[in-house]
Amino acid sequence: MADINPTIPDTGAVEEPIDLVRLSLDERIYVKLRGDRELRGRLHAFDGHLNLVLGEVEETITIVDVNEDTNEEVIRIVKRNSDMLFVRGDGVILLSPPSRA
Amino acid sequence: MEGKPQSSSRTPSDFLNSVIGRQVLVKLNSGIDYKGVLACLDGYMNIALENTEEYVDGKLKNSYGDTFIRGNNGMISRNGVLSCRDPVTDTTFALSTVLYISAAKST
Repeated sequence: MADINPTIPDTGAVEEPIDLVRLSLDERIYVKLRGDRELRGRLHAFDGHLNLVLGEVEETITIVDVNEDTNEEVIRIVKRNSDMLFVRGDGVILLSPPSRA
Repeated sequence: MEGKPQSSSRTPSDFLNSVIGRQVLVKLNSGIDYKGVLACLDGYMNIALENTEEYVDGKLKNSYGDTFIRGNNGMISRNGVLSCRDPVTDTTFALSTVLYISAAKST
């Protein structure tokens, strides 16, 4: 759970980066992951590793196929939806709060 | 430009603290660049940026209001500062996964 610096009140001040994540609790966020994966979902919980619990998640996977004959790169977008998802923190590259999520 | 970083920037940490609030370029190991105003960072080098622009292969791909970048992916650099020197060894300091520290154009 979001138990980092629990003594700091939720004033909206961002004093360290993790505060930005805390301010996004219960909001829809955008998460960029390793392996050309992106998630959009509601942030239910996180910890200092950036392990996340997301709800109502849409996962977007970008796959680049190379046509063996023509060497053309074909980009495929695959989407999946999950009601609830646990994300291991080490896969997280970037996390952005609601504005564009 | 507000001029050169203060000569009192002795340690890498001091350096980073001294560039809070400025436009920075954050280069990830993957090669993606993020430009934005450095809001804050912590001991893991987690980074919060404001008004972030994402560049892939030098092309603007996305922009975000606020951004959290997880520390293990990154490395940081900033306008006009060429290096961050370790006062003990007088060598350029490498920050864990740093590829290099370069200068970003100020906007």
